[in-house]
Amino acid sequence: MTVPSTAAQTASSLAWARRRGSVARFWRAYRTHRAGLFGLGALAVIALVALAAPLLVGSDVQSVTNAPGAALESPSGAFPLGTDQFGRSLLGLLIWGARISLTVGLMAAALSVAIGTLVGILAGHFGGWFSTVTMRITDWFLVMPTLVLAIVLATVMSRSVWTVILAIGVTSWPTTARLVRAQTLAVESRPYIERATALGGGHGHIMSRHVLPNVMPLVLAQTTLGISNAILTEATLAFLGLGDPDVVSWGGMLQDAREAGAVSSGHWWYLAPPGIAIAVVALAFTLCGRAVESVLNPKLGVSAR
Amino acid sequence: MDTTTVPRTARPSPRALTLLAVGVTALALTAAAATPLNPAPRQARADGQRTLTVAVSQSVDSLSPFLAQRLVSTTVHRLIYENLTNYDAKDNHAIPGLATKWEPSPDKLTWTYTIRENSRWSDGKQATAEDAAWTFNTMMTDEGAATANGSFVANFKKVTAPSPTKLVIELKKPQATMAALDVPILPRHEWEKVGDYAKFNNDKKFPVVGNGPFILTDYKVDQYVKFKPNRKFWRGAPKFDELVLKYYKDGDAAVAALQKGEVSFASNLTPAQAASLAKAKNIKVNDAPGRRFYALATNPGARSKDGKKFGDGHPALLNPKVRQALFAATDRKTIIDKVFQGHAVEGQGYIPPRFSAYHWKPDADQRIAYDPARAAALLDEAGYKKNKAGKRVGKDGRPLDFRILCHATDPNDKAIGKYMQEWWGDLGIGLKVECLDNVSDPWLAGEYDLAFDGWSVNPDPDFVLSIHTCAALPSTPKDTGATDNFICDKKFDELYAKQTAEYDAAKRADLVKQMQSRLYDTGYMNVMAYPNAVEAYRTDQIRAITTMPESGGNLWGQDGYWSWWSAVPAEVDDTSGGNGSSTGLVIGIVTTVVLAAGLVVFVAMRRRSTAEDRE
Repeated sequence: MTVPSTAAQTASSLAWARRRGSVARFWRAYRTHRAGLFGLGALAVIALVALAAPLLVGSDVQSVTNAPGAALESPSGAFPLGTDQFGRSLLGLLIWGARISLTVGLMAAALSVAIGTLVGILAGHFGGWFSTVTMRITDWFLVMPTLVLAIVLATVMSRSVWTVILAIGVTSWPTTARLVRAQTLAVESRPYIERATALGGGHGHIMSRHVLPNVMPLVLAQTTLGISNAILTEATLAFLGLGDPDVVSWGGMLQDAREAGAVSSGHWWYLAPPGIAIAVVALAFTLCGRAVESVLNPKLGVSAR
Repeated sequence: MDTTTVPRTARPSPRALTLLAVGVTALALTAAAATPLNPAPRQARADGQRTLTVAVSQSVDSLSPFLAQRLVSTTVHRLIYENLTNYDAKDNHAIPGLATKWEPSPDKLTWTYTIRENSRWSDGKQATAEDAAWTFNTMMTDEGAATANGSFVANFKKVTAPSPTKLVIELKKPQATMAALDVPILPRHEWEKVGDYAKFNNDKKFPVVGNGPFILTDYKVDQYVKFKPNRKFWRGAPKFDELVLKYYKDGDAAVAALQKGEVSFASNLTPAQAASLAKAKNIKVNDAPGRRFYALATNPGARSKDGKKFGDGHPALLNPKVRQALFAATDRKTIIDKVFQGHAVEGQGYIPPRFSAYHWKPDADQRIAYDPARAAALLDEAGYKKNKAGKRVGKDGRPLDFRILCHATDPNDKAIGKYMQEWWGDLGIGLKVECLDNVSDPWLAGEYDLAFDGWSVNPDPDFVLSIHTCAALPSTPKDTGATDNFICDKKFDELYAKQTAEYDAAKRADLVKQMQSRLYDTGYMNVMAYPNAVEAYRTDQIRAITTMPESGGNLWGQDGYWSWWSAVPAEVDDTSGGNGSSTGLVIGIVTTVVLAAGLVVFVAMRRRSTAEDRE
């Protein structure tokens, strides 16, 4: 960081070498977490299936008018997981639903972490009354039951996938904001920040070049953990009928199952697969998140290594 | 958890130990609870009270008969008040209610009713002709009181009660519905004190004073409506000691409650539920032709009587060709086969085939059959051609993108919406299915393009026809009218006036059929199906119950109080008494244990992982 600007070439290649090194170090540490590896493997498989869904099942699987089977067939060779009340293949819907559940989970978590990071860094950097005000707002969001707030938002806005993403994103950021603020305060108390200021670094420079890279590991871990929460919330909202009725998602499948009376009529094959899928994905993300956290989080990490 | 119950011989790891202990304890508790968890019908309580519990889902709109329009509310009113006449359970003909006899004058303009002497209000006062006269007069003079049933009295000139047993109604013009006035007669001495009938919901003071077979004793919004039998009811007291309409907003929960015996009756079953209940012991499934029609309503441009237009219905729907095209692109047969799975009859005219005298069918050249090609041709004719993107766009550049109001509580709405999206999507029409818990707000404000609509039809069709007349429109955009769908058609109104005045049954039926033909041609109300009443009751709680019509009829939402009044409790052989409270307790304990188990496992795993991290 103190390399003279004339040696830019060397500086950037140095930086790249340093980054490669830290990625390798990260991977070596991550590899030691067996649960994390399981989670990663499960995620890779599910992501692959979701990406390949158009090839595997085709978007035709959602069509009710071209449904191949009869209503609520039990599992068979033609329909490994049976059919829903429209005669559509549940396996196809499950695969197709993975796309929405994963997309919503990822985007909502990204949105929530983005908001949280922004608020956290700003509050930590500027301090004073600004920090007090933003942190009180954060507190307010923190004590509000997330689900209730998300339900209200999803009810007020029109039914679409974006609404769900927004509803989850804007309700689940406070934890990240608090974590990031704490880390920002810790980073900014280090002497090199003072030096950077003395050399003429402005607020923007300090926050983006020095604080952000240092809170990034925390943010990454937080995102991975947040995704499983977001997926669960998405499923809950869809189950409560607040999702986009036009798309197939796992939560939506559970709601359809309920509406068809699958619970009381004992059609377990309609209920179990989406439920298990939600649980598996949420678990996989949590396992990954915990592994990443224990590798990267300075507080957990120092004692672990 | 008390881990000490497990002998510590092999020194298992603390986590495994905890898990084991939890498992064993939970298992033991569940096993012990197995018998009380699946009790025999819990009908008999320790005090020998026999309760008939009916699962319902529709919210009560109002408990005031002046305002109530929903099926659940009118059902309540049938139970707690008397109309002048009732319908026979066998064949729907008019039989005595509060009136024992009714006679027209030779010019048919004056009707004299003899009021029975053996009907008493639940506070002990005699129900008289005075009460009936007051009820009708109030509806004639107070607009708020005419909200729900105003159509019956619109043609009344004068209503008097010359003696406590004699009611005289003078008419402006002949009226055919004089033996089918579906108006609950209210106790004058209780209702006179009410100020604003448009606001009074009759849900403040319990028990509600009435003279029907049941007395309304308690009501909590969306939780329950409770009744006690009227022991002095002139037709004979009901046989159960209590009747409870219990709310289950979720159909699956209602069916689960029926399976467990917590409720005696559940209606609106899905095909899957009906199929699985049909195999269950002690449960009888009743799949009867319904008295409802299920229609696709189009917004004809909401307006009020003062001529003001409001709402935001799609202007393309004002074109009859567009309305016909939409219906021609709706495959009713698939709806019956796939959505209702055979538990419905394909829609024809407005009045269901169960009322055979008035049921009407379009003939071959009038019928709008399912024909997507014809639908496309109609849209082309109407000037809505497909653009390059495959969407149909009008001359004003506005695409045919419709919204359809769907009841979130009715899975059929949503399912049919899915099919429509695909059928109409092929034609280049966009459809947004808006499923709401409360469709009334956008509906009354005219803020919809299309809507799933349905009404239960009475043996006398006057009321369901009246809701499509201009007279039913709200007076101003702010008011609520009796109108269903803002339809106001001159020809329909003329026919309505004629049928009202026609005393000859055959001629009147013919006029009613002409009205349905007119309604069919306008395309404002397209009947897609007549859903069956698919319902089930526990035979170990209800031994006998009267359906209406008696052979192959329905139970919930009858034109009368027959089902619940006639229900006979099954023989009680449950001697173990007091199961009810203990079951709740056991369920509570088991739930707590399971929750605690989950918590312990969670904590154990947490501790383990953090311990690992710290090593």
